[in-house]
Amino acid sequence: MPQPAPYGREVRIRIGGPAGFGIKAAGQTLARVFARAGYHTFDLTEYPSLIKGGHNTYHLRVSEDEIFSHVMPTDILVALDAPTIALHLGELTSGGAIVFDPHDVAADAIELAGRDDICLVPVPLTDIVYEVGGIKIMRNVVALGAVLGHLEFPLDGLVDSLRHQFAHKAPEIAEQNVAAATRGHVEAANAHCDFPFRLAPRGSVEPFVLADGNEAVGVGALAAGLGFYAAYPMTPASSLLSFMAKHADASSVVVKHTEDEIAAMNMVVGAAFGGTRAMCATSGGGFSLMVEALGFAGVSESAVVVGLFTRPGPATGLPTWTEQSDLRFAIHAAQGEFPRVVLAPGDQTDAFELGWKAFNLADQLQTPVIVLGDTYLSDNRQTQPAFDTAAVTIDRGQLQTTGEVEEYARYRVTDSGVSPRVVPGVVGAQQIVNSYEHDEHGWGAPGEERANRIAQSEKRARKFELAKTLVPKPVEFGPHEAAVSVILFGTTKMPTLEAAKWLAAEGVTVNVLQLVTVWPFPADAVHEFLERSKRSIVIEQNATGQLEGLIREHTLREVGHRLNRTDGRPISPEQVYAFVHDILGRHVELTAAGAIATSEGGR
Amino acid sequence: MPAVKEFVTPLKPTWCPGCGNFGMWEALKRALSELDWQKNEFSVVWGIGCHGNGADFLDVQGMHALHGRAVPPATALRLTRPDLKVIVEMGDGDGYGIGLGHFVHALRRNPDLTIIAHDNQIYGLTTGQASPTTEHLMPTVSTPTGVLEQPVNPIGLALAQDATFVARGFAGDIPHLTELYKQALTHKGLAIVDVMQPCVTWNHLNTFQWFRERVYKLEESGWDTSDRAAAFNLSMTTFHDLTCTPEQCKIPIGVFYKREGVPTYEDRVAASAEPGFKRAEQPRDVSAILAGLG
Ligand SMILES: Cc1ncc(C[n+]2csc(CCOP(=O)(O)OP(=O)(O)O)c2C)c(N)n1
Ligand code: SF4
Repeated sequence: MPQPAPYGREVRIRIGGPAGFGIKAAGQTLARVFARAGYHTFDLTEYPSLIKGGHNTYHLRVSEDEIFSHVMPTDILVALDAPTIALHLGELTSGGAIVFDPHDVAADAIELAGRDDICLVPVPLTDIVYEVGGIKIMRNVVALGAVLGHLEFPLDGLVDSLRHQFAHKAPEIAEQNVAAATRGHVEAANAHCDFPFRLAPRGSVEPFVLADGNEAVGVGALAAGLGFYAAYPMTPASSLLSFMAKHADASSVVVKHTEDEIAAMNMVVGAAFGGTRAMCATSGGGFSLMVEALGFAGVSESAVVVGLFTRPGPATGLPTWTEQSDLRFAIHAAQGEFPRVVLAPGDQTDAFELGWKAFNLADQLQTPVIVLGDTYLSDNRQTQPAFDTAAVTIDRGQLQTTGEVEEYARYRVTDSGVSPRVVPGVVGAQQIVNSYEHDEHGWGAPGEERANRIAQSEKRARKFELAKTLVPKPVEFGPHEAAVSVILFGTTKMPTLEAAKWLAAEGVTVNVLQLVTVWPFPADAVHEFLERSKRSIVIEQNATGQLEGLIREHTLREVGHRLNRTDGRPISPEQVYAFVHDILGRHVELTAAGAIATSEGGR
Repeated sequence: MPAVKEFVTPLKPTWCPGCGNFGMWEALKRALSELDWQKNEFSVVWGIGCHGNGADFLDVQGMHALHGRAVPPATALRLTRPDLKVIVEMGDGDGYGIGLGHFVHALRRNPDLTIIAHDNQIYGLTTGQASPTTEHLMPTVSTPTGVLEQPVNPIGLALAQDATFVARGFAGDIPHLTELYKQALTHKGLAIVDVMQPCVTWNHLNTFQWFRERVYKLEESGWDTSDRAAAFNLSMTTFHDLTCTPEQCKIPIGVFYKREGVPTYEDRVAASAEPGFKRAEQPRDVSAILAGLG
């Protein structure tokens, strides 16, 4: 059984320590250094819901090859405190290294842990920080230098990065950081570890983006001409609010941190009424508060975009971990019935694309469009080919923003179900956009008449049929015929594609159907895919098999196997790999360091 | 100048005969007409309640929003459409009950909005339950032994939060109310007009007669509208109890307080200077942002 990637082409680095030690920031600096040197990177940040203390880790995968997800093993463990070693020793690959401060943990303590295949890189992190005149938080920078030193990787990329990062501070701050990194680099080289991995800068670098999912959605929304963004902070959606706030002035977007999610969603409806492209985003708890106004958007036929970045629930759940358990909620939330679109990006490139397409769909259909992500997407960064901004188009559907209209009726009954939309301010655009059922003008009392109710609800329903022709289609990966066929939505795409790559290398063919749009449910495509699959698996991160149930409901077909996970950790490629072997009748033993042993038969 | 009748839809108002909402409706139409507001220059956003049914009767470009939620969409409309004036119509249950948070936060922000509260001190549309402004100890269908809470003091709340235009009106005095509306509508910043709106069906205490015996006009008493502390003290005098006689509780109507020249929320948000829909006329150039992510 191979390791997830051949040694020498890939290195996995884990930085661990208490929250407040700048672990993620340091890791991201390192990721940028490698990305700029021509490597593919993927990072996974794991942290409990604590600001200071607790155990945080940042796991960075650096590879010469295209990669799709995180993996389990670690080659270099940077331990900013002693518990990190105990917690992650098991993940270290044979020949791996531990960068640690001998003041925190004695070298023989590590030896006592029973691994004699590990190389120790003691670096007096704290001493060095004080030697260069810095402050304690800079220990992480020394460690970064040490990681590069250990890999015999040149320091200049990191130096550039640090100078850039601290450009807005006093000049001595940047230089202290540079000195700290340099000292770390030298110390690691002195450790004389016989380390099997060597990375060197790779020359020419293709244009790339190193973004997390929220940034990718945000860039997509901005490209689409977003004019109003409202949110109340909730992990993992909060960083999108910060992103928007950061770019608000330069992009001329009104960004509002509202009093609650109820206000955010209602504001978005108000902005959309004025003709502005408007978005809000939250996690499941906040979405619960938005639900009534989502119904308002539905009945009022408002073109709004809602980001729903889920975490494990119910209620406040596991704030900083990941799950896909709000799929049914996204599809069904709100009173009554109205058409909606739910898009589920599987990675950052999808997130950018769906981020801008969501606005066109909302305008074309005049109904809410939900972008359904999760923590695994929101929080993690991945190098992606430069986003295709040239492909961005604006389609505002039937929208009139200037001039005059005659005999305008906001909710004119049409064959497509979409009524021409005229914003307030246009002469003659007398209209009430109503949360009540209404007649063609939007007046509520006549909406109670039976004929009006039927006409309006059928009109809205027709938009759902139109939606089916407009939404992004499922995407298929892998060969047309395969030994194993996977159906999934959202971020399980990433570990599944990674595992499929490993399996392909062993001659096991896997094809994957990614439901980019989960609502309207692409029943025909799923049915056709199931028809031609030999063994089918549905992979999703929830307990009840929400996607599996939708498949059954909409195709009247069973899926053969299910892989679910509910511990808040993302499904790993090793897990998918082992599962596929398992259903093929081989047993794969998984350890923390990844898949290590297979045996024929004996399911 | 648009005639009053131009603001009327073909639908006949469904309010109970004699309801205070008629007077408010009439005063608003007159104010809009007298101020020469063209129908494409402004929007009205209603909450849900008997007051909100007015959305069917005023011929404007507006929104009939959710119960308690008129203020947020109106704020966003104002921020993204600086070319439009925006009016909010809300009920007391609507705006001071379920929507109280939005009201307070709107006061904090001072957007250029006019909020008209139909304060009938009862839930009309849901048939007579106690509202946040129902008199202390008054029995209602949801409080048969009387409301135990103190009423919300909208005027005091607005003043405490440093609102820039705070007024009280009475639906039974249409000319006076029209003048108040005109001042509120032309005020730059958040204007709140809390209107005593008798509900003739469910509130048998705070009737037209009850108010007529008690109201007096601030401007006739030579009131100084620039004295916030005095205005706040005055707002406290109207926490009257069930048994008070006309002599014991006089109810001031008119402008309690106003201050000009305070920057509005949108004055401080550079992006709200032009209509938001213009941003989506063509794809936005995001190359600078992407460069930061490279
Ligand atoms: C979320 C929600 N809860 C409850 C209602 C039911 N409801 C409709 S109007 C109303 C109260 C009306 O009272 P008020 O706001 O004072 O307006 P009025 O009818 O007196 O004008 C309520 C509770 C609703 N529409 N929405
Ligand atoms: S119930 Fe009261 S507030 Fe409602 S319409 Fe009748 S009188 Fe007016």
